Amino acid sequence: MHNQQISPVLRNDHISVHFEAMASLCEVLVESEDIELAMHIAQAIANEAWRIEQKYSRYRVDNIIYRINHAQGNSVSIDSETWHLLTLANTCFEVSEGLFDITSGVLGNIWHFDGSSLLPSARMIKECLAYCGWQNIRLTQDNVRLPPGYAIDLGGIGKEYAVDSCVQVATKIAPKCSVLVNFGGDIAVSHPRQNQPYWFVGIEHPNPEKDSQLSVTIAQGGLATSGDARRYLIKDGIRYSHVLNPQTGYPVTGAPRSVTVAGENCTQAGLLATLALLQGDQAEIFLEKQGTTHWCLW
Amino acid sequence: MKKIAKLTVVGIIITQVAGCASLGVKPWERDLLAKESMSLSAEGVDLALDDHIYFSKEATSGGRAFAGGGCGCN
Amino acid sequence: MQLNKNSNIATTLAAATCALLGTTSLATQANDNNQNEWQFDTAILYYGEVDRVSLIEGVVSATKDFGDDHIFNGKVTFDGLTGASGTGAVPQNENQTFSRPSGKGGYSVAVGETPLDDTFKDSRVQVNAQWTQPIAQDMRGSAGVHISKEYDYLSMGINASIARDINKKNTTLSAGLSYQLDSIDPVGGTPDRLSSMSILSDLSLYDDDDDDDHGNTDQVDNPEYTAHELSYEQRESSQDKDTVDVLIGITQIINRRTIMQFNYGLSISDGYLNDPYKLISVISDQGVVQDTLFESRPDSRTKHNMYWQTKYAMDNGVIDISYRYAQDDWDIQSHTIESRLRFEISNESYIQPHLRIYQQSAAEFYQPFLLNTSLLPSFASADYRLGEMDAITLGIKYGSKMTNGNAWAVRVEYYQQDPKNAGFDAPGQLAELDLYPSIKALIVQFNYQF
Repeated sequence: MHNQQISPVLRNDHISVHFEAMASLCEVLVESEDIELAMHIAQAIANEAWRIEQKYSRYRVDNIIYRINHAQGNSVSIDSETWHLLTLANTCFEVSEGLFDITSGVLGNIWHFDGSSLLPSARMIKECLAYCGWQNIRLTQDNVRLPPGYAIDLGGIGKEYAVDSCVQVATKIAPKCSVLVNFGGDIAVSHPRQNQPYWFVGIEHPNPEKDSQLSVTIAQGGLATSGDARRYLIKDGIRYSHVLNPQTGYPVTGAPRSVTVAGENCTQAGLLATLALLQGDQAEIFLEKQGTTHWCLW
Repeated sequence: MKKIAKLTVVGIIITQVAGCASLGVKPWERDLLAKESMSLSAEGVDLALDDHIYFSKEATSGGRAFAGGGCGCN
Repeated sequence: MQLNKNSNIATTLAAATCALLGTTSLATQANDNNQNEWQFDTAILYYGEVDRVSLIEGVVSATKDFGDDHIFNGKVTFDGLTGASGTGAVPQNENQTFSRPSGKGGYSVAVGETPLDDTFKDSRVQVNAQWTQPIAQDMRGSAGVHISKEYDYLSMGINASIARDINKKNTTLSAGLSYQLDSIDPVGGTPDRLSSMSILSDLSLYDDDDDDDHGNTDQVDNPEYTAHELSYEQRESSQDKDTVDVLIGITQIINRRTIMQFNYGLSISDGYLNDPYKLISVISDQGVVQDTLFESRPDSRTKHNMYWQTKYAMDNGVIDISYRYAQDDWDIQSHTIESRLRFEISNESYIQPHLRIYQQSAAEFYQPFLLNTSLLPSFASADYRLGEMDAITLGIKYGSKMTNGNAWAVRVEYYQQDPKNAGFDAPGQLAELDLYPSIKALIVQFNYQF
């Protein structure tokens, strides 16, 4: 995959480059007519995205996540980047009073959000919850230790972090050039545009039957969407979103189909969107209290 | 006549510099040039004070900027 | 998670994600920008010559970016000058007496001493304002004004320039034009060109007492003093000159470490270009002063300048080298080589040695003295600054950035001017006297940036 060829598309007032990473279609928009510059930026962004994917994917057996999750109760030494990511996860756990928990991924093993009506049994959920709980993780600047059987999953942070990190890569290369990075709807912009006030971004509606697009504008900062466009369960007329409450082991109900939040950066926006979904039917109230720009689709 | 000859020399140098298409850097190679100390106007206050001293003590002035001193010290 | 408690989650997450990304939060940045809307550059400079003038100069320069590269710079400069300045007259083997510029006083110069006028005392205020902004794609325009006022001098100027980036911003072409109008109102009026300085036969005849408007008793009905006073009264008052400057330049990025600049400057001055306080001695073939005249310079001057500068970024510093060639229709040619080598001794501090070597040839009308046996020329000046001269500056600067982002620097420099004999034979007693004394100066400057 890392030998993937990327090629530019010339648009009216910018250059667009596509590639694939993190199971998403990734798009880099560069406000410039300089193809060489755009390609240099896009290539550096692709390399950064692939690096983060390789390092933090939970589907690989050669990375730090695998080593942490398979340490059998031993502590694993971590680098500075991992420490910062886990520290952020800790902050999220604390501010959400336990609702945001990167150890809750294990619940995903019993919940299959394939649109079916197959629900796990209460006993299975209880057994599973015995292996959840960020409060049981020991984290220091150099080491992390999980109780045996625990596993962490950076899926709720990783892609947004990659978007922000890629924007920083772009800023380093061309500080004054406006670059938009879009990894499957998680977006960040490096610098305000010169020739237009903002970028227009279309967000897919979570219900494909509605076939509508939400169009938003972004000048600088991050934009992230959390939702269950394709990942949900319906049982007895109740729609179970793919967002699981790690304290009950059950999916959150009554939440919007999709929450889009604009933030300072993509990671912050993504976390706010996820925290909003975890509020269920209180999602919109939560976001209004935060004073963020947001769009909820029900 | 002497002056005209000198002006021609200036003209030739400018054309040659502009003609070197291979000179220059890519936008992402501007890291070192972007440093404040590499700016041609770095230490502008010092340069202006020096210009004022030398304007008042020597027969020639200018070059880097306009030659007019703006004072009666010469 | 209780909703009433979580109103600051967005802020907490902003701070936490910024920590992760190693960036400053935009909200914080916006705050910082508000606090530091203006960037101030201040400096205080002391310039002191051994036995001659000393100057204290203070500068406050304020710059603000109003967004999108619309930049304003305002600068105020104050200076105060005191001390003695060479008049151009030659030393003698006996005491000499000269009138002060006002004519209301006199001073004597000891045996063998270079005549200096020690009444120099002036303060000056200068205000500059400059506005720069983009005027088209890859094009910037700049316009500015200045006004400078001292006791006997007023200078006003306007300037405008444009710069255009080409070759993917690797080359910048610039062109500028400035116009300056200066007006001088000499103390004691404007002396006629090559007119004799009226010198009284006895120092006691001068009216040195400022409180007494009626002169001292010796002057009453003294025909010598009456003639002296009359010669000052008949003088013209203020004089003007105007100067047009054209500056064209090219800046070229050579590679990742090197940037080069080449400028050509043309400066045309018309009007009163004399220094009304400068003298030239008329001597006999024995080197004895017969008369003291006021100097006479042409009333126009056209100068050409060529300036080349290169800056090279080292891993731990910057090499800055420049060369200037200047010549004008007064037949003065000069070469200036200057280098500044900045060595970064840590992330926050640097040390920077400075070397400047200057050499100029004499103006065609420069003469250290006039001979009473020769015809009086139209133009003559004995001002050493128009004579042949070498000069050297050696300096060192230390700069440091403080933890709050402000910066300070201090520099100490030594400047020595060595006037040279451009082939004039010194007759009689002058052969034994120093007609070309060196001038040694110390420069100390302190900068503060916030």
